[in-house]
Amino acid sequence: MRMLNGVRVIVAAAALAAPFAAAAQGEVVVYCTVQEEWCRPMVAAFEKATGIKVLMTRKSSGEFYAQIKAEAANPRGDIWWGGTGDPHLQAAEEGLTEPYKSPRMGELQDWAVRQWESAKGRTIGVYAGALGYSYNHDQLKKKNLAPPKCWSDLTRPEFKDEIQVANPNSSGTSYTMLATFVQLMGEDKAFAFMKSMHRNVNQYTKSGAAPARAAATGESLIGITFQHDAVVQAIGGAPVTIVSPCEGTGYEIGSMSIIKGAKNMENAKKWYDWALSPEAQAVGSQLKVSYQVPSNKSAPVPPQAPKLSEIKLINYDFAKYGSSAERKRLLGKWDAEISTLPK
Amino acid sequence: MANHAEALAPVFVPVARDRVALALAGVALLALVALPWALGGGASALARAIGGDGAYWPLLAAAVALAYAAWRGHDRASAAICAVALAWAFVHAFALGKTGPSFGIGAALTLGVLTAGLARSVARRGAFHGDATVATIVVVIAALLLVFIFFPVGKSLVAALFDAQGRFAPGLAAERLLSPDVWGLGCLSGGTRCGVAVNSALLATIVGLGSTAIGLVLALVVQRGGSRYSGVTRLMSILPIITPPFVLALALVVLFGRTGVVTGWLSDWFGIPRSRWLYGLPGVTIAQLLTFSPIAFMLLLGALQAISPALEEAAQTLRASRWRVFRTVTWPLLRPALANAFLLGFVESLADFGNPIVLAGNYEVLSTKIFFAVAGAQHDPGRAAALATVLLGLTLVAFWLQQRWIGRRSYVTVSGKGDGGIPAPLPRAVWLGCFGFAAAWIVFTLACYGIILAGGFVKDIGRGDMALHLGHFASGFGIDFSGGAPRFTGSAWNSLFTTIEVAAVAAPLTAAVGLLSAYVITRHDFAGRRAFEFLTMVSFAIPGTVIGVAYIVAFNVAPLELTGGMAILVLCFVFRNMPVGVRAGVAALAQIDKTLDEASSTLRASTVRTLTRVILPLLKPAIVATLVFSFTHAMTAVSAVIFLATAKYNLATVYIIGRVEAGEYPLAIAYSSVLIVFMLAVLLAVQAAVGEARLGRRSAAALTVGHS
Amino acid sequence: MTRKVSGEVVFEGVTKRYGDVRAVDDVSFRVADGELVTLLGPSGCGKTTTLRMVAGLEAVSQGRVLIGGEDVTLRAANERNVSMVFQSYALFPHMTVLENVCYGPVSMRASKDAARELAAAKLAMLGLTGFEKRLPSELSGGQQQRVAVARSLVLEPAVLLFDEPLSNLDAKLRRRVREEIRELQQQLQLTVLYVTHDQEEALAVSDTVIVMDAGRIAQQGTPQELYEAPNSRFLADFIGDANLIDGELTVTAAGASFAAGGVAAPVRAHGAKSGPATLALRPHELRVVAAGEGVLEGVCRRAAYLGSRVEYVVATPWGELLAFDGDVRGRRARDEAVGIAFDPRAAILVPRQETGNR
Repeated sequence: MRMLNGVRVIVAAAALAAPFAAAAQGEVVVYCTVQEEWCRPMVAAFEKATGIKVLMTRKSSGEFYAQIKAEAANPRGDIWWGGTGDPHLQAAEEGLTEPYKSPRMGELQDWAVRQWESAKGRTIGVYAGALGYSYNHDQLKKKNLAPPKCWSDLTRPEFKDEIQVANPNSSGTSYTMLATFVQLMGEDKAFAFMKSMHRNVNQYTKSGAAPARAAATGESLIGITFQHDAVVQAIGGAPVTIVSPCEGTGYEIGSMSIIKGAKNMENAKKWYDWALSPEAQAVGSQLKVSYQVPSNKSAPVPPQAPKLSEIKLINYDFAKYGSSAERKRLLGKWDAEISTLPK
Repeated sequence: MANHAEALAPVFVPVARDRVALALAGVALLALVALPWALGGGASALARAIGGDGAYWPLLAAAVALAYAAWRGHDRASAAICAVALAWAFVHAFALGKTGPSFGIGAALTLGVLTAGLARSVARRGAFHGDATVATIVVVIAALLLVFIFFPVGKSLVAALFDAQGRFAPGLAAERLLSPDVWGLGCLSGGTRCGVAVNSALLATIVGLGSTAIGLVLALVVQRGGSRYSGVTRLMSILPIITPPFVLALALVVLFGRTGVVTGWLSDWFGIPRSRWLYGLPGVTIAQLLTFSPIAFMLLLGALQAISPALEEAAQTLRASRWRVFRTVTWPLLRPALANAFLLGFVESLADFGNPIVLAGNYEVLSTKIFFAVAGAQHDPGRAAALATVLLGLTLVAFWLQQRWIGRRSYVTVSGKGDGGIPAPLPRAVWLGCFGFAAAWIVFTLACYGIILAGGFVKDIGRGDMALHLGHFASGFGIDFSGGAPRFTGSAWNSLFTTIEVAAVAAPLTAAVGLLSAYVITRHDFAGRRAFEFLTMVSFAIPGTVIGVAYIVAFNVAPLELTGGMAILVLCFVFRNMPVGVRAGVAALAQIDKTLDEASSTLRASTVRTLTRVILPLLKPAIVATLVFSFTHAMTAVSAVIFLATAKYNLATVYIIGRVEAGEYPLAIAYSSVLIVFMLAVLLAVQAAVGEARLGRRSAAALTVGHS
Repeated sequence: MTRKVSGEVVFEGVTKRYGDVRAVDDVSFRVADGELVTLLGPSGCGKTTTLRMVAGLEAVSQGRVLIGGEDVTLRAANERNVSMVFQSYALFPHMTVLENVCYGPVSMRASKDAARELAAAKLAMLGLTGFEKRLPSELSGGQQQRVAVARSLVLEPAVLLFDEPLSNLDAKLRRRVREEIRELQQQLQLTVLYVTHDQEEALAVSDTVIVMDAGRIAQQGTPQELYEAPNSRFLADFIGDANLIDGELTVTAAGASFAAGGVAAPVRAHGAKSGPATLALRPHELRVVAAGEGVLEGVCRRAAYLGSRVEYVVATPWGELLAFDGDVRGRRARDEAVGIAFDPRAAILVPRQETGNR
């Protein structure tokens, strides 16, 4: 009993501290930022394909960005796969990630390569998803309203308090929307538009995908999200219709980055190369968990996925709007001019 | 302060040579010679020294010198050796920083032993009234708190002083702290919104008042209604312990959202239009009231029961009317408990993360704002630090007010004396009002939990798709029996097992640290006792998000490299939940007569023997309660561990928050119901094993005093 | 039984401060080996603090404590050859009687069997054989008290301390137990320091009584000395009842007389000098007689019949005096004019204190 409990705490703590650092050969730590149902089969497929053991964590892209930054002095993760491109670009800008040129570069869509170029090789596109909105057609019918087709419809007075969208300050999805409006309309008009839409917004949610869920359950009539998030709800049986706005829309590039100083650099690169392969990019769609457009040209596009070819995509300037200075400015402006507006 | 100076004067000086110090020196030597110094194995300190790293020779020399000094009984020399060696080890390690090795088993053991040796020898020189055991407990726990609370939190709060590029910017800090985003009062003067601190304070005030009122009503009904309502007591004492975050918020959405069940009835039958009133202040308020009023209830029930019926009977015999009895006797006696309950609700509301994230809508509060300042699109840890400082400030103000108003004697302790007499009946109108409200509230609470338990079994309760569906459990908790031995293929198993493991490791450590602290605080007088008590309580006031980020920042690199392992989760829980252990211990020790310790001492028992033979056996109920509480608390904590969970060590709540973020409520609900059932089973098993019928109640008392 | 160690307790100028308050203020006394000394005083006088300093439960702020000639001022409680019986008994509620009594020997690393033997002997001495397996909660108050004594005795300490050991017992039991304690002390030649606020108890059991007041020793002596020659108003009032009268003492060769309220009466001076003085008169020394037959004239204000005596309150030029008169048949009526008589030898002259703050 003389061995003091306090000492025991230290001892126990030290004994428990299973060192991640001393990872054995044949491991890779993946930070996964798509939904769990997609992350897990990806891991299983990679393990099967390579025999490398995967340690996977799933968090939102913002959380991972914060974590990678906090861990920068002694990185814990090896590769960061998935999630909207901005945090990846931000991490690239801050040198938290490692430049790498995959032998599969040639197989990729232009937008994926552009992402790689603008990040000076530190991040690359793995899938793309267009921004749009979904509405609950049951509710729309009940209210006898004409279906919306364009961004401009969202300012219609009958949609008062019927639109849900994430707060761009907390969600990358919503920041994509903000940047899309600015690129589509010009900054002044974009803010004027958002001001008039503000009257119709019932809630700026924290999470980017939440509005799709709200539209699916009818908590909100319309939810602005990436279209693939709405597709998940539609496949689940929700009465939602997905809209690609007539004016054209922006998109996200789901990205992948190798974390600088990765402990398992070789395996991280193996994942990187594998994740760009058609087989890897087919995993999500085969299991009906992903409706994004894959970046490998020969990967099958899920039939339910919103066809990028049929969507009027704007020429989204990821370099400019992904930079932290521009983002800070736009978010600050949004915070000051939109979020404080009276209804 | 005169008594402090006096307490430091040498008091009881032990006669014999300190054999424990000798043993400690031996352990230190052994650790230095035989155990790997650094994390992840490798060479011992001796091997490193021989290998040419001269920095380890002083430590080896110190261990030898300590052994000699202990043998010769040179306590002053021992103290100096330990202090110098500790200082050298830390200065050396932090000077090397991430280029050096991280403390491993050998280092931890050596440093721990040196700390204990320092405490012992200082005590033998007269500090701590010469009691080496007390000295060791105090010094070691204080050292642990410094390393695991103050170092990380301090390090992360300092971030408020730096801009995004890492430049020192005090002006920016002032701007961040004082911006109208934080303190604006626009909503009062007809503007659109108030600052986030104002919002948080408003919400916390409403919730504090509301939960106190609801708790009081329920407590009155249960106490005056007698044993008929003991079921209510049990329910309310257990619910807050076993409720994972988000659960009540999710249930409210299912019931009262625009497409909610109740909303549907109201719309179909009464034509009340469906609306989104729930999101924002109303919804968060209701969810927090559901979450926190059981705690107020337990606190106030204890207070009501502590009021001797004899007092009320005395008042009645003095011809006071029922109403007058209540107003002049019952109410004033309750006042300290009411103030306590209010501040408790206030602080809990400030720190709450799960309810606002689901329900707050456009109503910004500090806890979520801090989270999104770190993890959201802003990526602004400086701002997060500033907001965390504000939150910490609000909490500390609440604590300070509590200390001022109520003082230290307000702990509700029910004396063991059976009170004769029957509590005075309430005035009839008050009774009916209370009873009606209490019944409605209990039904409401049960409905919320019912929805959760049912929600996992239907296709999509949020969408009103009530077809029986086991897919959520299959995806989360599937077991594959095909290969002979069962394989846990469900996506939630991993996190569930880890959660249980971490909670099970953390619980006994929490109880040990907490109860030992309580013991020295209540039973021994030493210089700086109040400061020590404050140290042990302060981690409760620090918001979980702040702790989580702080732990990553502080413990990611050598010499204190812990991230990624299970240890960091365990440590986080231990030091976050230890105030509960402290308070449970303080409350329990208050009921154990101090003369028992003294009797033991005059019967020649050492402090250790008194502790193990007299105090601990009598504390058994408190120990069990603390174990259960810290176990369940570790299972349901969320905000602190979001950043600490890893692939190997993922936690249930982190899994659930992922589901909630993605809008996958059914799986989140299914997982929550599994957690509820599991924790309930643990609780009942412990109750059955210990036979402590009042476990729930004691836990709640522990919890409530945890904030005092 | 042979006793190896001396139990002499010596306090040398001991002071105990709590902040600015001196709970015990420069107290010195000596308890001889084998003596029973009582610390007596009103609550808050410092008697319990003094006892606890002997036990080592309170630290001494200043001064020295010696036990058996050895300076123990800096020794912790568990390193002193002292045992204590607490007011609440402080029996360990989770241990049986036997375990309670064995606790001390086991603490001192006696073997289990040896501890049991010692415990059994002491339990037998106190008539507790057969109760070994009981828990304290299953015993009566008197039995618990005896267990507490047995538990303290089992270590055969040099000094045994009692802190108000009888206060939780009813009146009859109290008388019996105090006799038992005294008997035990005499039989075992124990050195005992005993704290009480009950002066009757103190007078009954003690060899020496130390009366404390406001942290200081007011007077020390045998019970008889304290009763018959109190050295202050406080003492005269505290030990037994007393009528206290302030007046003037005149000592001449012929004898002494005490005057107050314009009336003088003969007293024995016991060596006191002329000047302002306080006279203490025990009520049972006063006789109520017919008007004109006493040294003082007065009016009977109250007369309460108590069977064996009558308690009077009589208004006299010396103020209202309390008198206990054994002449129950010749009881005086209320408002009757009466006289007060007393034997000059019964008059106690108390030194007058200069300071009025006592």
